[in-house]
Amino acid sequence: MRLEKCWFCSSTVYPGHGIQFVRNDAKIFRFCRSKCHKNFKMKRNPRKVKWTKAYRRVHGKDMTQDSTFEFERKRNRPERYDRNLTEEVLKAIPKIAKIQVSRAESHHAIRMKGKKKKVQKEAAKEYEQSIHLLKAPSALLAPEKIKVAVSQQAEENRVMEE
Amino acid sequence: MGGKCPHRKVKKRRLSHKTDRRSKFLIKGDDMVYDELNKPQEDRKPLPLDEDLPGMGQHYCLHCDRFFASVAVRDEHFKTKKHRRRVKQMMGDAPHTQLDADLAGGMGMPDNGPKLMSM
Repeated sequence: MRLEKCWFCSSTVYPGHGIQFVRNDAKIFRFCRSKCHKNFKMKRNPRKVKWTKAYRRVHGKDMTQDSTFEFERKRNRPERYDRNLTEEVLKAIPKIAKIQVSRAESHHAIRMKGKKKKVQKEAAKEYEQSIHLLKAPSALLAPEKIKVAVSQQAEENRVMEE
Repeated sequence: MGGKCPHRKVKKRRLSHKTDRRSKFLIKGDDMVYDELNKPQEDRKPLPLDEDLPGMGQHYCLHCDRFFASVAVRDEHFKTKKHRRRVKQMMGDAPHTQLDADLAGGMGMPDNGPKLMSM
């Protein structure tokens, strides 16, 4: 069973899935789903479409250089069947997958290192700039003290009542 | 399956649009044009005479994959925005290929085994 990669988004295409286009110069284009096929027909460049693996690779979003990528390859030379080798490979696959996931996680963590600080800085800036949306500008100023003159008569009346 | 489209009248049905679409299949893809441009100058063959093409197929724009009726028309085309945009695009990175897709998908370079014949 050969698992191919989608031409557009680089996801794995399992047998019986997706669609394949053979151009008149015998070049093969495989697509995992109609979304990728449509994008190809629109002549979009996968390097410029943000959700593709090609974009993420070019822009340093994903881990690119790693020894775990050396295992999955297109082998154009047939391998002689060896039962022991097959068993070992089957044992190794989940281990390698685990290592790859952990490395990808650490890569993501390193990439997101300055993120929290940046978010807080941006939030502080936004608060400063758009606080007027919540409070009227005059309310932000310190309230002025108002002096009221109290008349002499009113004062006297109160005394009389007592 | 099928049936008559209620909005399609007899007049419209007379016109087949298949011939319009045919030329679409003959247009070269970006990667084909790119490969053609990056070939050494010596490998380029002189254009064969073809009476079906405009100007007997003698005035060709490599970048846009188009034939023109005369040199004057072609030179006029070289000045257009469409052509210049195309030239800029072709000057840039190589178009996306299946190999790029494989590498981005976490695969290594293809393994062709050791070379058997020493050249």
